[in-house]
Amino acid sequence: METIIKVDHLIKRYDTYKRGSSFKESVKTFFHREKIPVMAVNDISFVVGEGDIVGILGPNGAGKSTTIKMLTGTLYPTSGNIDVMGYNPTKNRKTYVQQIGAVFGQKSQLIWDIPPIDSFRMNKAIYDVSDQDYNERIEIMSKLFEVEDYMTRPTRVLSLGERMKCEFIMAMLHHPKVVFLDEPTIGLDVIAKQRIREFIREMNSRGTTFILTTHDLEDVEQLARNIVIINHGEKVFDDSIDNLKKVLGAKKIVQLVLGKPLTELYIPGTEIITRESELNITVSVDQDQISITDFMTELSKVCTFTDISIKEMPMETIITHIYQYKKEE
Amino acid sequence: MKRYLLIYRECIKVAFATASTYRLNFFLNSVIMLLGDILFPLVTILIYGSGAGFEGWTIYEVLLIQSVFTMSMAIADMSFHGIMWATMFAVREGNFEMVLLMPVDTMFLLMAKTFSIDGIGLLFGGIAIFIISLINLTAPTLIMWLQFVAMFVVGMMVMLGISLIMAATSFKWVGNSRIPEIFDSLRSFGKYPQSIFPKTVLIVSSYVLPVAMIGFFPAAALLGRGGYVMFYAILPCVLFMTLGILLYRSMVRLYQGVGG
Repeated sequence: METIIKVDHLIKRYDTYKRGSSFKESVKTFFHREKIPVMAVNDISFVVGEGDIVGILGPNGAGKSTTIKMLTGTLYPTSGNIDVMGYNPTKNRKTYVQQIGAVFGQKSQLIWDIPPIDSFRMNKAIYDVSDQDYNERIEIMSKLFEVEDYMTRPTRVLSLGERMKCEFIMAMLHHPKVVFLDEPTIGLDVIAKQRIREFIREMNSRGTTFILTTHDLEDVEQLARNIVIINHGEKVFDDSIDNLKKVLGAKKIVQLVLGKPLTELYIPGTEIITRESELNITVSVDQDQISITDFMTELSKVCTFTDISIKEMPMETIITHIYQYKKEE
Repeated sequence: MKRYLLIYRECIKVAFATASTYRLNFFLNSVIMLLGDILFPLVTILIYGSGAGFEGWTIYEVLLIQSVFTMSMAIADMSFHGIMWATMFAVREGNFEMVLLMPVDTMFLLMAKTFSIDGIGLLFGGIAIFIISLINLTAPTLIMWLQFVAMFVVGMMVMLGISLIMAATSFKWVGNSRIPEIFDSLRSFGKYPQSIFPKTVLIVSSYVLPVAMIGFFPAAALLGRGGYVMFYAILPCVLFMTLGILLYRSMVRLYQGVGG
């Protein structure tokens, strides 16, 4: 796979100010503010192959969004090099952004008061897309997303899921080679998430490279082939999803609401990790030792439960596992 | 160039579509802007009606200056003044990257996207007073008209420079919403005959912060009362706009976004 993105020793440092919460401290802030340097991204390097889908994972405040903003050329790095398709994003910005697309889950390109179709026309003019290409792409993408019915309604009356689908169309109209997605499924329901994932897979099969930041492990499991994990601005993992699974040991987190209190749980490959109350417990299940189906069967033999939910491993736990794995190595 | 014209055309279409969505808001905005800015000519009429006035200037000459100022304000509000508030808002909310992601000039795109037709009432108001004033004055010659158009365009450059300088400050001082009020006050010097001001103010308003070009100099050209000072003021106006453009472009680099 040919390299399409190369990030080399990327650093982003900025200053912020410490502000107190009390009245006295607020008054003091008028005369003196203590400057605090923040290392948002600290010496990150990685490469992305052409046609790949790479997930950048990390807890809140890890530096994922800052990294992706630097990759899109909208933030200037303090130091380090970025090469995307031979472009330096901070130089020749206009030529560079013509080649890329971006969807920021918490920010919108759509114009609030008018229908998405009018916003699409605006991007058609901005990206200088020909009438033929525009019509073809709108037809393909609107069918893929099934948005024909509501792309003529004002954006403000659309649901979050409908708006997000339109955001994707907006970002893909000019047929970018690389698309950056910052939390693309944030706040969406399961069906909308699934539809967006299908869309990403479809576009990827047509040759588009995707870089997505998320703290939703499901996004990564279903889409990404390679993972970069960032914590406190530093890279802690950069490998394939299969190798991440080896590190994590294919564990699932199961939350249980019990019918009766339970002191111990004797099922191989399981462990009670937290007890929220006598009847609420969280269990980790190692799928290398026991499948979820077998676990459910065994569980129903040893206790009664009124509710069960299977969760992904929290990001903090994943990072702890990675640190432990690195120490053991 | 063609691409930029197409973008501008789309932005104008969007502005009309938005205005038609909130018809009452558009109507009220237009009326309020008209009433707010038409008060100055009314004050002038009251001053002259009471027997007072600006020495050396007839009521229609003063009204002509103020109508030119009003037209300049209206065109600036409609075409590029929005960049100031749009930049301030985008920097504060951390949405500026959505503009930087577009493969066109950032300044142009923000100006085009903030095209507003709310100022149309003000523009018509200004044109009405301009026509009434001209009817009551000696008809200008062709040379005077040409000088007027040139000065009017240069005046727009000053307005653009002011908007860009104010917008640029928001990259460094986030949430500086009161700075425009200072500039608004200074800009007001441009709607009076400059001869009523002391020499120091005259120098500042003509060459340092050349607000005289917004209303006074174009009107003076039309009245044949501009003199050589008017031409000397062109250079600082061009420099002022250039300063605004350069400052804005360099300040964009300071954009840091907000937490993701």
